[in-house]
Amino acid sequence: MANPYIPLQMKVQRIETEDPDRTLRTYDLTFLNESEKEAFRYLPGQFCEISILGKGESPFGIASSPTEPDYLRFTVNRTGSVTNDIHYLRNGDIVGMRGPLGNWYPVEDMKGMNVLIVGGGFAFTTLRSLLIYLLDSRDDYMDITVIYGARNPDLFIYKDEIATWKQRDDIQFHVTIDKLVDGWTEKTGFVPTVTQEVAPSPDNTMAIVCGPPIMIKYTLPVLTELGFPDERIYTSLERRMKCGIGKCGRCNIGSKYICIDGPVFSMAELKKIPETV
Amino acid sequence: MNMVRLDKQKLNDFIRELSAEYSVYAPGKTNGKTEFIPVESSDEIDFNSHVTDMFPKGIFFPPAEVLFEYDEDGVREAQTSHRPIAVWGMRSCDARSLVMLDRVFGSAIQMPDNKNFQDPYWKEKYDNSLIFGIACNEPLSTCFCNWLGGGPHNRDGMDVFVVDAGDVYLMEPLSDKGIEIINSSSCLTNATGKDEALAVKLASDAESMMTAPLDTGGLGEKLTAIYDEPIWSEISAKCVNCGACTFSCPTCHCFDVQDEGKGKKGKRVRIWDSCMFPIFTMEASGHNPRALSSERVRQRIMHKYSYYPENYGENLCTGCGRCVMVCPVNLDIREVLKRIIAYKEQVI
Repeated sequence: MANPYIPLQMKVQRIETEDPDRTLRTYDLTFLNESEKEAFRYLPGQFCEISILGKGESPFGIASSPTEPDYLRFTVNRTGSVTNDIHYLRNGDIVGMRGPLGNWYPVEDMKGMNVLIVGGGFAFTTLRSLLIYLLDSRDDYMDITVIYGARNPDLFIYKDEIATWKQRDDIQFHVTIDKLVDGWTEKTGFVPTVTQEVAPSPDNTMAIVCGPPIMIKYTLPVLTELGFPDERIYTSLERRMKCGIGKCGRCNIGSKYICIDGPVFSMAELKKIPETV
Repeated sequence: MNMVRLDKQKLNDFIRELSAEYSVYAPGKTNGKTEFIPVESSDEIDFNSHVTDMFPKGIFFPPAEVLFEYDEDGVREAQTSHRPIAVWGMRSCDARSLVMLDRVFGSAIQMPDNKNFQDPYWKEKYDNSLIFGIACNEPLSTCFCNWLGGGPHNRDGMDVFVVDAGDVYLMEPLSDKGIEIINSSSCLTNATGKDEALAVKLASDAESMMTAPLDTGGLGEKLTAIYDEPIWSEISAKCVNCGACTFSCPTCHCFDVQDEGKGKKGKRVRIWDSCMFPIFTMEASGHNPRALSSERVRQRIMHKYSYYPENYGENLCTGCGRCVMVCPVNLDIREVLKRIIAYKEQVI
C-alpha cells in the first residue's frame, strides 16, 4: 500500500508572474523520474497538495491539462505562510507534491454537449485545465462559451492565452471587470450580471462554475433562472484542508468532504447538503 | 468457543505470555490520572479505573505522530514497524470507538480514479492488535452507551471479552486471533456452567444500573431538519470553545499537520486538533466558514449524530461520558440530545 502522506519530489521548471503586484505566480513543475510521471494520471478539476518542507502543505487546483504531459501547472496567490514561501521558489528548486486528489469535472458526460464555463479571478486554474482539455478534443464537444471576470484587467491570469482564445472562432470568450477603467473595451460588471446578459442557452449545455464564494453564490441562481437544471450545473468548492484524503476531518460541508467527495459538486448534490456555499 | 477462566493470581503470568509476542498496554496511573500505559507485569495495572481518564485511542492514533522526516536529500518515511499491540482492560465503549475510527482511517475510501486512501500508520498498529475488553459491572452515572447501540457487556471490537467475576476473569474469545491466544495460553482453565451463569447475571445487573435509554433513532434526520434553527445559539451559549470535549473523545479523529524542525531538516507531524477552535477552518484569505461558536458546536453535534451516521450507518459516539465529566461549564451532551429531540417536536 502506497503511503498517501508522502510527497513526491518535483522540480520548478518555469515561473511566470501573472500580475503587476506580483501576488499571482504560475509554476510549472516536472517530475524527477519517468515512472512517477507515467503513474500520474489526472483529469481537469483535480488538485494537489504542494509542500514546502519545514513550512507545510496547501492544496492547489491543477491548471495544466492532462493533454499537456510535460509539466504540472499551478497558479499560486501569495496569501499565507506556505504560499509566501512558494513565491520565493526559483527555477530548479525542489518542492513536494501529493496528488492527484479529489474528483473532476464531468468531461465524459460533456461529450456531445455545449459547455458553459464561468470563472472569476485567480480561480480560473482548473477552468484553464478544462478549457485546454476540451480544445484538445474539440470535435467531441459542441459550442464552448466562457465568461471570465476579474476585479480589474491586471488580475486576469493567463492573459496571453486569453488573447489567443478570444481570436478563435470556435469559442465564445467573454471577459469582464468589476468597474470600468480607462482603455477597457470589453464587458464591465460582476460575473452574475454578465452571465445574465450573455444568457447562454441551457439546451444540451453543461455549466461549470468556479470562482470566489461570493461569485459562485450569486451565479448559481442566474443559471437556474436561465433554465439550467441542477444536474447540469457543476461548481468546484474549497475549504481549509490538511490531509486531502478524508481523514483529518476539516474540509467537510455537511457529510461530504471537499477532498474526497469533491472538490467538484453538482447543484443537485449541493442542494442535499445543509451547510452550503 | 466457550468461556475460559483466568485465576486473578495468574494474571501476571498471562501478561508475561502476551509480552512474548506483543507490547502490552493496560490501565495505569500517570500523575494521578488513569490512562493506558505499556505494562510488563500486572503490578502496574490500575484495577480501580473505570472509564479511564484518557481513552486508549492514543495507542493507535497518538496525540502527535511523525508522518515522515525530511532533510536536504528529501523525504524518509517514518519507521512504521512496531511490535504488535495487545491491550488489556478496554471498556466496551472504547473498543467500539476503535471500530468507528477504523472506518475513517482503515477502510478503503474508493476514489473515482480507483485510488483508495488508507492510513498506513493506523493500519499498521490497529490491524495487528489484540484487544481484551473488560465488561462494566458497575456503570457510572455519566455512562450512556445504551443510548447508542452499546452496553456495559457489549463485545464489539474485542478479540477477547473479559468479565471480572470476583477471584477470576472469565474470558470469551471472539476473533480468530483471540481463539489462538486462548488456545496457546497455559494459564487458563475451562469455565464451569456456574461461571457462565454468573457472567450472564453480571451483565443483566449492569444493564439494570444504566439510565433509561433515549431513542436516538432518526436523530440524524432531525438534526438536518433543525440545521438553521436558533436552537444552536441557545445550546452553545455557555460553551467556551475550550475543546476539552473533543480531546477527551475516543471517537474524535480530526488532526492538524505541522512541520517541526529547523532549516531543511525536520519532521512532518500530525497532531490532534479540535473543531471547537476558530482556526480549525480559518482560511488564509481570512474567510472562516465556521466563525461563530454556535456554528462550531453545531458541527461537532452534526458530525457525531448526522454526518458520520450518513456515511457509515452508526453514530460517532459511544456514550462513554468523558465529555460530560470534563466539560468546565457542564454542557452535558445527553441534555443536548434530549433538547434537540424535544425541540424538533415543537418545530415540525
